[in-house]
Amino acid sequence: MRSRHGVALAVAALGASPGAGVAQSWRTLDVSRQLADSAPTSVQVVYGTGSFGLRGTTSPLLYHMQLRYDGERTKPRHSYDAAARKLSLGVADADVKFSGRKDDESGRLQVELSRVMPLDLSLDLGAVDADVDLTGLRVQRLRLQSGASDARLRFDSLNATRMELLDISLGAASFRGLRLANANAREIRVDAGVGNVELDMAGQWTQDIDLRVEVSLGIVTIHVPTDVGIRVALQKVIASFDHEGLEQRDGAWVSSNWETAPRKLRITAETVLGKLTVDRTGR
Amino acid sequence: MHAGLFALILAVAPAPLTGRQTQAVQPAQPTPAGARAVEAPPGSPLGSSSAPQAVALSTQALDSLRELVSRFRRDPEAVQIPADDAVAMGGRTIEAGTTVTGPVAVAGGPLHVFGTVNGDAVAIGTDVIVHAGGRVTGNAIAALGQVTLDGGTVTGEIKQLSGALGAIETPAAVRESPLDATRHAVALSVSWLVILVLIGIGVLLFAAGYLDGVTESLEGKFGRSFWAGIAAQLALAPVLCLIIVALAVTVLGILLIPFAIVAFVLAVAGLVTIGFLAVARITGESLAPSAARRYHPRGAALRALVIGVTLYMGLWVLASAFAWAPTVELVLRGVAVAITWVAATAGLGAAVLSRGGTRRPTETLPAVAAVNDLPWQTPTPVTGVVAARRPTPSSSTTRER
Repeated sequence: MRSRHGVALAVAALGASPGAGVAQSWRTLDVSRQLADSAPTSVQVVYGTGSFGLRGTTSPLLYHMQLRYDGERTKPRHSYDAAARKLSLGVADADVKFSGRKDDESGRLQVELSRVMPLDLSLDLGAVDADVDLTGLRVQRLRLQSGASDARLRFDSLNATRMELLDISLGAASFRGLRLANANAREIRVDAGVGNVELDMAGQWTQDIDLRVEVSLGIVTIHVPTDVGIRVALQKVIASFDHEGLEQRDGAWVSSNWETAPRKLRITAETVLGKLTVDRTGR
Repeated sequence: MHAGLFALILAVAPAPLTGRQTQAVQPAQPTPAGARAVEAPPGSPLGSSSAPQAVALSTQALDSLRELVSRFRRDPEAVQIPADDAVAMGGRTIEAGTTVTGPVAVAGGPLHVFGTVNGDAVAIGTDVIVHAGGRVTGNAIAALGQVTLDGGTVTGEIKQLSGALGAIETPAAVRESPLDATRHAVALSVSWLVILVLIGIGVLLFAAGYLDGVTESLEGKFGRSFWAGIAAQLALAPVLCLIIVALAVTVLGILLIPFAIVAFVLAVAGLVTIGFLAVARITGESLAPSAARRYHPRGAALRALVIGVTLYMGLWVLASAFAWAPTVELVLRGVAVAITWVAATAGLGAAVLSRGGTRRPTETLPAVAAVNDLPWQTPTPVTGVVAARRPTPSSSTTRER
């Protein structure tokens, strides 16, 4: 019996003892570049795991990147082609993978971009906690791709440039878009695999907006101001649709102020399994 | 004094200097306008007439700075810098109106730029300060220091490095020690053993009927189950493709493809698991046949299951225990892989043949005695009275008794 206890204790000790720790080499890289002109620039940010933040800067800088990373696992990326006006920031593509670390051990990427130049912005995020604040930036085009992340995107003020397309592609993620009318975009696309998507269409409406939402499995909530006319074309398989305040007309759900509203939101939603809610409480 | 303090900190701290440490050992150099040095030629050593703000450093301090410079050279984020004798130890000032061809590098004291640096300006363990009118046409880099723009311009990147400085060891270069590797491998194998035992207990508790079905299918038909398992393995990919194609031909089915793939993988994993557990149970029963008489049927099944799983996974634990001897480990792992594959294949075959344990082997019916019908194919009399009773197997058996 004693030997059995000994074996059990040995097994427990082996299981409980930490394995050989993988050596880490945490570093911080702070990179910036002075602003030379205000020509449109294409910006690509790639980041794998950790926390990510993006915002505008009032400093006379084209960009400012602060990256905390493990030098053994991650290779920073910061290149700027002045002739092609292409800026690449973040980490190498191969480093976009899940490390399984705790939050306090994870890396961090903070990017600040100039508010002067028009931006064609592309964000490729892996499993990150992202806070993308595009307030004050001049965004011509935005493409956000995310694997398994908790992402927040917000425009607290009107985008000074008319945006051609706001394209959000999510894998298994929780996404909140705040004051998206300030994006000044004619078309917004949200394509999500699994997860919760919350779109707040508050802000300054400068034009009608086409919103296309595709969610395979999850909950989609769209908050729309009361003075905006809504038309919802829905294709669903096993999904519920909370259409309070909307009436069915010509194969679509429309708000009572559809004809008279100064601004209109045309929603095309496709969902397989989940719930779509259009909230008109004026949030 | 500064040099002594610098050397002391370097001697105490074997790890790379942090930015704060380097700031602590740098001499305060306010660089008043009237004290600006004349043009400092590249690589001016400390104490030269062209660098009046510099402080004298001891040999030991210089050696430490050279080590720091060497680390910077090996850093992935480093740029090309001049040879050691051209690195200004203790600091340097590029005077207004002067142009210096870069790269310009300093260590242990700040780099003040009032003029123009054609190329990179690099400070190691110290700061780069680009003053008003100063210009760096390349990159301004401070390793374990800061780049300050005091009205000057930098055409290239402004880069600051902090944290570990030097060559980054790749994971391959930091391999585990043999003892750690062995401990890690054994812990992993034991964990899998425990997990399988727990799964087995769960199956016995909640799906004992299915396990019994697979076990019965496997008993006495090991060869058939094994070949069925191989056939099942070969058919996995084609069946999955067939399911996807079948779903893809319909619009609704396309949406279900991801779910179908997940369901298929889960189903196969379930069949393999229950099949392997059935093999383990039979193995355990064969090793301890008397347990079936001494224990309650469920207790005997659990005992047999644990013995079997421990036996099969014990091979993996044994192989892991020889992680310190790669050749022996390789041989033992090969044996473990072969035996486990045979067990899993036979188990999968039994699980498939028994439809996941839902179909028990049919009992063999007793042979029915052949009856010659021809003599009895005479027309029934019109009156409806049968001439004689037709013999049946039961009646013939009764007669024989």
